[in-house]
Amino acid sequence: MEQSGTSSLLQGAVQDLASSVVSALRSGDHARAAAPERAADGEAEGLALAAVRVLGADAMLPSTLLSTPPLPDELAVFRAAVEAYPPGADAAPTVLWSHWAMRHTLWRLDPGHADGPHPEPDAAWLEGAPWQLLTHQLAVLAALAVPGEDCAVARAAQHRPVDVARGFVRAVRRRDWRQAAGAGRWLTLLEGVPQTLGLDNGLDFVELMGGQDPLVALQVSAARLTRTGVFV
Amino acid sequence: MTATEKVTKDLTGIQSADIEAALDPAEADGIYRDSRECAALALFKGGYGLLLSPPTPRPKKG
Repeated sequence: MEQSGTSSLLQGAVQDLASSVVSALRSGDHARAAAPERAADGEAEGLALAAVRVLGADAMLPSTLLSTPPLPDELAVFRAAVEAYPPGADAAPTVLWSHWAMRHTLWRLDPGHADGPHPEPDAAWLEGAPWQLLTHQLAVLAALAVPGEDCAVARAAQHRPVDVARGFVRAVRRRDWRQAAGAGRWLTLLEGVPQTLGLDNGLDFVELMGGQDPLVALQVSAARLTRTGVFV
Repeated sequence: MTATEKVTKDLTGIQSADIEAALDPAEADGIYRDSRECAALALFKGGYGLLLSPPTPRPKKG
């Protein structure tokens, strides 16, 4: 399907931001991931803000996983993205949860300047969802797969580790690397994942095949950090 | 529409609908491996037994 110019522009900005986050995760230089370089013009600044909203809570992932305080301007950009793009009245559950995750992250990282905790959106759409749909939706919401964080989406994943493992394998076989990487990230948090899955090797393979996509690399990096417990 | 969103929309053409579409993507079409990639899978560390297992049977028609 052909993308509109606007859509391509936004996707490119999201990928650039994801690359920055991956670099920060790998180098430990966490502080500049979500802070766009001071844009010379309003267009670039607006685009950067929209990209932060799309990448969601993962824009602050280096601070979250590496437990290092974000810079004030980093938080300011993140907060501006949260405030600029609230979910619409008929927004999809993933949009609602993405926004909730950003507000929750803001509250966690900067409790003095953010209200919270915030009530969770409804997660009923995941209850009884077929494993294929469950995996797809979890992969879209992989920013919620953070060690030590509890929410209804995470609980839905925790109740169905085998289904998520099946979804991971299906995504790999379909060469849907983004979905595979997101599902793999969730699997690093779940108990009861079948040993026969070979998750570590699976993540290696996903990175090998899809790692040139920054959004795939981000999820794999997050999964590895979670796996190794470096965030503790 | 918030003030920031309006500025962004005016400058970049990006609207809330674009962002919400990016946050609620449809599942990508599946692309299945060819035999060369299957061979690469078998060789790569030899650790992908499950990924190389045959596909589950399709439901029979009728």
